[in-house]
Amino acid sequence: MIVELKDVAKRYGTGPVSVTALADVELFVAPSEFVVVLGPSGSGKTTLLNIIGALDTASEGTVRVNGIDISAASRRELFEFRRTSVSFVFQSFNLFPALTAQENVQFGVDAAGSPLHPNDVLRSVGLADKLDRFPHELSGGEQQRVAIARALVTNNPILLCDEPTGELDFRTGIQILDLLQKHATDGRAVLVVTHNREISRMADRVVELSNGHVVSDGPPRGGKADVAELHW
Amino acid sequence: MKALSLILRWSWRDLRAHWAKVLSIALVIAIGTGAYAGLTSNANWRRLSYDASYSSLDMYDVRVALATGGYLQESELASAAAQIAHSEWIGAVEERLVVPTQVDASTPTESIVVRGEITGADFSDGGPSVNGYHAFTGRLLTDADAGQPVVMLDRNFARFYALPDGGTIEISGGRPLGYVGQATTPEYFTVSPEGEIFLSEANFAGVFTTLETAQQLASREGAINGAVITLVPGADRDLVVAELEATLGSLGVGTEVSTRDDNLSYKALTEDVDNDQRIFNVLAFLLFSGAVVAAYIMLHRLAQQQRREIGVAMALGVPPRRIAVRPLLVSAQIAVLGVVFGVGIGMLVGNAMQGIMENFVPLPIWQTPFQTRLFAGVAVAGFLIPFLATAIPVVNAVRVKPVDAIRPLYHKAVPIGRRGRKVHTHGSTFSRMPVHNLRRSPWRSGFTTLAVGLVVMVLIAFFGLMDSIFGAIDDAEVEATGTLPDRAVVSLDGFYPADAPQIAAIGDAATVAKAEPTLRVGGRISTPVEEIDVLVELLNLRTAMWRPTLTEGAPDHEPGVILAEKAAADLGVEVGDTVTLRHPQRAGPLSFTFSDSQLPVLGLHPYPVRNFVYMDAADASVMGLTGVVNTVQVDPVDTVAEGDLQRELFSLPGVASVLPVLSVTQALEEQMGVFTSVIQLIAVLVLVLAVLIAFLTSSISLDARVREHATMFAYGVRIRTALRMAVTESVIIGVVATVIGIAGGLAMLSWMTSSLLASTLPDVGLNVVLDLATIVTVVVLGVVAVAVAPLFNVRRMRRLDLPGTLRLVE
Repeated sequence: MIVELKDVAKRYGTGPVSVTALADVELFVAPSEFVVVLGPSGSGKTTLLNIIGALDTASEGTVRVNGIDISAASRRELFEFRRTSVSFVFQSFNLFPALTAQENVQFGVDAAGSPLHPNDVLRSVGLADKLDRFPHELSGGEQQRVAIARALVTNNPILLCDEPTGELDFRTGIQILDLLQKHATDGRAVLVVTHNREISRMADRVVELSNGHVVSDGPPRGGKADVAELHW
Repeated sequence: MKALSLILRWSWRDLRAHWAKVLSIALVIAIGTGAYAGLTSNANWRRLSYDASYSSLDMYDVRVALATGGYLQESELASAAAQIAHSEWIGAVEERLVVPTQVDASTPTESIVVRGEITGADFSDGGPSVNGYHAFTGRLLTDADAGQPVVMLDRNFARFYALPDGGTIEISGGRPLGYVGQATTPEYFTVSPEGEIFLSEANFAGVFTTLETAQQLASREGAINGAVITLVPGADRDLVVAELEATLGSLGVGTEVSTRDDNLSYKALTEDVDNDQRIFNVLAFLLFSGAVVAAYIMLHRLAQQQRREIGVAMALGVPPRRIAVRPLLVSAQIAVLGVVFGVGIGMLVGNAMQGIMENFVPLPIWQTPFQTRLFAGVAVAGFLIPFLATAIPVVNAVRVKPVDAIRPLYHKAVPIGRRGRKVHTHGSTFSRMPVHNLRRSPWRSGFTTLAVGLVVMVLIAFFGLMDSIFGAIDDAEVEATGTLPDRAVVSLDGFYPADAPQIAAIGDAATVAKAEPTLRVGGRISTPVEEIDVLVELLNLRTAMWRPTLTEGAPDHEPGVILAEKAAADLGVEVGDTVTLRHPQRAGPLSFTFSDSQLPVLGLHPYPVRNFVYMDAADASVMGLTGVVNTVQVDPVDTVAEGDLQRELFSLPGVASVLPVLSVTQALEEQMGVFTSVIQLIAVLVLVLAVLIAFLTSSISLDARVREHATMFAYGVRIRTALRMAVTESVIIGVVATVIGIAGGLAMLSWMTSSLLASTLPDVGLNVVLDLATIVTVVVLGVVAVAVAPLFNVRRMRRLDLPGTLRLVE
């Protein structure tokens, strides 16, 4: 397994004002698996993603990602982990505004020491003609493609996506999901966090959270659907 | 009410989040306004203090001095004054006896032998009633001290040599006198003995005693040789002077009647006020401008960071006026803090300047009241600037469409390089990003660079002015000492033939290795452009043991003058041009007139004071003074102890004073002392300003890039890599700002030395000098401090809430 979470809990605060974001979570993700983490607002899905991506630490349990026990890792090891094991795609893109599309993706190459070429990856996401554009000159969908390209170019085995279609219209969102799914089949584990049940239909597996607990973990209801079949 | 409550709570949270920046910007404004108020108050303080001090000690309105060697009996002068036509205008008359002397105030660790003057006055009935005394240490003399060998020492002299409050001195003839205190009197508020230039507290000692004691010391029982007179309010002073001159002419002894305005000390203090203030005003304006513009730029950047939130608020339909309240509340906080701190800094500067002034001019009364009106003027500017700095970006934001306000203010790279082609940088993103960030936000980069550059410019102006002043003093020392650092100038009490026994006695003194007689006369040099009072020294320009260095020209067989470079520039002449020298001309065995001679400029010397002119001794024939001398240049024996030379030569007949050549430089240093002390005081504030600007530049930049940093950290980029990028960006800003600042500072310094100081200190020539220490300081602050400032944000970066900053949404 490329992601292993055992008895993971996350609490904020202490005593009477303590908030339990996650409790008794177990999660296993295989390489090349496309997993959707589904849940309403406040269910803990973002917290789960933060913990897997080493942006946050678990209060209890063990977290093993890409063979590394990050629950006991030092700060330095966590930085190394994020460089070599995971890549993020954010809801609000978080591109560097002073860099062009190509330069934003080049950042991913430099951060991870990847052998891939930014132009090739941008071409693969359909932005071959937008290399010299700044983020404010791109549409929302194009910006998200750049963000995905930046994540893909690192060549890391795990892709963590937080509501990647949250700021996009339906058609653009479909295109983005299609891209993500294609790269999952390339040997990369893809975890997508969303509240949109329709998106979960395209996953290999759906992990549903409610009030910090995993309430279900299995194939999508009604079977896996093709991206083209989705509608919201 | 609810809306107001929300705004106030929100504003409080803004303050908590940005308190360091708010405080820093407020301090920047406070430094500018407070220092401005302090510096520009100087003239008011000095006038208030001078008026109060002169009034408290009843400085004379009219002074009567008998010719050298002339004496009258006590009450003769007072009686004569009572006989003038308008005697009802006479307020009080104090007769006195003034006796030149040598003063030996040597301590176990320092030999102190200087020329001095004993002033004897009537201390009975709480007097003297004109030109009273104020004791800084010890006690004042009283009637009980009449005829006793006790005196008071001039405070300036005693303070310069750090003498104890009481002790013993010796005067001419080795006679000991006990001094019971250190005091001042109006004629000694600053040391400017009549008939001398460049004497200072280092080489002239005022000794104050009772009239009876002075008479005993001078062996002149019952004698006086002067009087000081106060007039009643409304008296016509000039008429009183005329009537006194007419009445005193019948006494059969030469008298000179002068007024307070003729007193060199009084003139030096009162005339300097406006001249000095002009310089302080320029320095104040420079500092105020730099601080205020820098604060404006920092606030502008801070306000611009709220542009996105403003756009969101507009999208929600909030009216622009209400949108503006929150950022303007931040401005209000800064404005209020700026004024409060400004008052504090203004008072601190005032207290510090009082200390400086007390140190240089010990007065009985120093008043440095806070100048509310002056401060209010700049406080208004300091109060309005934060609002202006915030209002402009807020107004710009609410005027555009909400979507444009939300959009970041990035523009395409300004095309640079030849023919408008973009310059493509090479290397990894981490090395290119700092350059890209700067290029693609040219206004932000430009304003930040300007803010830092202004502070660098102020630093160069302040420190450069000090360097230039000290450079002139060093030049003076080098030129004056030449190869004979212990050289001294013996002034005689009159003109003597060069082969007179008095001259030979000086050369034969045990402490003298070599002696050369010279002639010094006062005069005036003029051209159609300018007139300069000068001291002309006639010596052998080819073989004298000390000769002026010639930077241009050479002595000629024809009579001519060697001018200071400053004098030549001011007179508008070069070597070979002709000037008019007004000089004493012997008319008879003991009489002189003044006549004008047209003389060529033979050469130029580098001494920074323009009043010194040299001629060859052979040219004394122009003045009818061939073979006549009144000074002797001496080089002491190598093994002679300091002070022994003065002691031996003072005891010789005809010797009026023995001055080390460095005494002139000391006087120059003292003349500049007030400036350099004030500049040093303000320079501390400038340094604080520079550090604050460096901090603000870095802190505000960090705020602007917090999301980018969070994204980098999410991708595993190390903190040190992000810091390196921030440092690189800061270095670029720092280098460009420092270069701009140095260029601007040098231009300002050049103007100050050539134009401003030329009108306020016309006799001193200053070259633009920048010490290595100044350049290092400027580079350290302008580049290193700005570059290093991001490193102080390591903790902030380490504690960055990545999820929150990245806005991972539930």
